[in-house]
Amino acid sequence: MIDASAIRRIGSLPFQKMNDETLVVDPKTREVHLLNPTASRVWELLATPQTLGDLVGSLGREFDAPAETLRADVTALLQELSGKGLIDSTGWRKDDR
Amino acid sequence: MIPRDAAAARCRDDELVGMESAAALIRTAQTWAHDNVVPFNVSLETTLECNIRCIHCYNFDRDEPRARTRQSCRPAAAPERPRLSTDELLGLIGDVRAAGCLFLSLTGGEVLTHPDLFALLDRARELNMAVQLLTNGTMLRPGIAGKLARLPNLLGASVSLYGASAGVHDGITQVTGSFQRTWDGVERLRAAGVSVRLKYIVMRQNAHETEAMMAMATARDLPYSVDLTITARHDGSDGSLAARIDGSQLEALYRGPLRPLLPPGRRPPPPAETFNCNCARGNCAISATGEVYPCISVPWSAGNVRDRPFAEIWGRSPVFQRIRGLTLADFPQCAPCPHRGHCTHDRGAAFNATGDYTGADPFVCQTAELAHRLADESGD
Repeated sequence: MIDASAIRRIGSLPFQKMNDETLVVDPKTREVHLLNPTASRVWELLATPQTLGDLVGSLGREFDAPAETLRADVTALLQELSGKGLIDSTGWRKDDR
Repeated sequence: MIPRDAAAARCRDDELVGMESAAALIRTAQTWAHDNVVPFNVSLETTLECNIRCIHCYNFDRDEPRARTRQSCRPAAAPERPRLSTDELLGLIGDVRAAGCLFLSLTGGEVLTHPDLFALLDRARELNMAVQLLTNGTMLRPGIAGKLARLPNLLGASVSLYGASAGVHDGITQVTGSFQRTWDGVERLRAAGVSVRLKYIVMRQNAHETEAMMAMATARDLPYSVDLTITARHDGSDGSLAARIDGSQLEALYRGPLRPLLPPGRRPPPPAETFNCNCARGNCAISATGEVYPCISVPWSAGNVRDRPFAEIWGRSPVFQRIRGLTLADFPQCAPCPHRGHCTHDRGAAFNATGDYTGADPFVCQTAELAHRLADESGD
């Protein structure tokens, strides 16, 4: 993942917030994903494209965690969301996904 | 509808085309919507126009001038209203989304007769809603099927089928060639990559083709549902009931081709707290004239979106409050019934048969009794 690249939701995916979780439906793959509260918050922030730095900055103001830990956790989460086809990035390398 | 597994969706309006593999997670979400009173599933009747004239149509008698509307389908003494305009429908899609709707079912009449259908679909896409279409399939020309396939938020299409032969199907639709056009539409959708589920409505006229229809669907690897319950019409007329199968046809079907679809073994009555379906809790429907119903099968108006915003009707209507407050004890025929475990608890059939949401349709009761008897005979 490239730090400066813009990460975004796959724009047209149907989703609905359910309390602090989010249900995301992918009609093309026939899969449904239930995002946990942290992933839901990231999904919410990605309503507008963000860089990894933006995301870590925003989450750092909400979660009491060391910056490096947060960065590693967010990176892993983004890789997972990308692997499920829920987000993409203008700067992702093929082997990042 | 054939009684389903106890773990299945609470009612037919919860069922989603093409998402069978994700059923468990969707059930969890439907339960959340039920418990939190969120209109997760909305059926929107975009039009009453239809290009076929089915003898069992629940909207109104398509062979007669529109003369009557069941009083409960709209406020007392109110004249029938004009149908919602495209602008009103577009606004309404936004309103139901804001209230928590994720799954939007577009129906009719025939939904593909709506001149601005793709504007409605685009609106749902912009709002990240998942959409399914209920259609007779006859208007799925190549260009339309391809255009639908390109919609990233389309779950699929539920296509009505009324026979395994052109003679029987076309006799029910009263339109020669409709059987072939429906199948052409189904094949075009599938070729384009759109999920399709067949919906087979069993009637006196087509009961003898049930097994053949099931074989046709299976041979094409098409999922299907079988529905036995023909109801009176939403206009209050009941000519559609002449198409209902009788007791001997029902028994022949249940002992024959439909037997494998019946859940095996004796089924205890469901717990009282799970008796209510998703009507007015996770589901609702909006008619082509703006009346808000607890579901598409129950034309009991909770208000009209031209008089009050959808959110206000959803949150405060006395009709919806009453439904949400019902307990098993409020259903006088169902509460003591020994066949409850084998029953569909079809509120639409009950309402259309008796005018009472807590009533019971004798045909549904007969079906439950038979399913129970067969379970007893099997000795499981």
